[in-house]
Amino acid sequence: MNLDELKKLKEKAQRQVALREGSKKYRVVVSMGTSGIAAGAREVMKTMLDEIEKRGLEDVEVRVTGEVGLEDVEPVVRVEEAGGEKTTYARLDAEKAKKIVAEHLEKGKKVDKLAVGKEKKPE
Amino acid sequence: MFEELSLHILDIGMNSLAARARTVQIMVAEHARRDQLTLRIQDDGRGMDEATLERVLAAPVSTKRGRKQGIGLGLALLRQTAEMCGGEFHVRSTPRRGTTVTASMKLSHVDRPPLGDLNATILALCAANPVVDVQLHYRSNTEHFHFSSKEPAEKKELSRPEKFWSGEEKTHYEPGRTQKVERESAAAGCLA
Repeated sequence: MNLDELKKLKEKAQRQVALREGSKKYRVVVSMGTSGIAAGAREVMKTMLDEIEKRGLEDVEVRVTGEVGLEDVEPVVRVEEAGGEKTTYARLDAEKAKKIVAEHLEKGKKVDKLAVGKEKKPE
Repeated sequence: MFEELSLHILDIGMNSLAARARTVQIMVAEHARRDQLTLRIQDDGRGMDEATLERVLAAPVSTKRGRKQGIGLGLALLRQTAEMCGGEFHVRSTPRRGTTVTASMKLSHVDRPPLGDLNATILALCAANPVVDVQLHYRSNTEHFHFSSKEPAEKKELSRPEKFWSGEEKTHYEPGRTQKVERESAAAGCLA
């Protein structure tokens, strides 16, 4: 831990705030309850933030929630599209998180291999 | 069981956010001479009354939780870590005023998890709710700093402490300068 890092961290945190302005095409919700944290949700979230920034994706916001009831398949991330479609990805790690950013959030192609459960189509 | 103390901090900090805190203060103090490491997470959330607090602390560690939150697994895990490492664990809470969780452990205890990636923890808390002011107060024998994710706007003109952040903080520790001066510069640093 050093002060330079903290300074960068602060800028990053502030960019997060800026990224919340307006409505976005994608909202990424990371499950960050006790079980999520224990399974590595923090690293997954960090990787996604880094990757989104690296690719300059502006139409994405990242949020965090508590337990989602999927303790056995954590880390879990839900991608919500502006139209209402939701995709849940489970058993993630940093590599898989990168893939989701590259495929789903950048190109708009769902990563079926990592998704779980039934698709939730807008009513 | 968490492998890093910073994961405990994230977990307890998430509780604070769930309790609608506006400010979450994380204090990490390493005291080498007393061989003690103290973590404190203090929030101004909605707090708990005595009965709730008792229930939360008495809850057995169980993996069979329902969807209901606040059963106390996170607190129980931190308590376990603290007590396993020759330390203590306290929770103080006042309804509508907030909650303070304090855990201490022996710095040199063989089972003590490393502090880990505190930056990632703070980033996660900031991302969880950017409106909340997440503060970190870190103190050890050689370092002492203060971080706040939010600066009060009216104090923005107080901008010089670039120096503090640019790794020259050592200059603040020259002999003769009092701890107080150092603390002021640290506080100014976070307001830059």
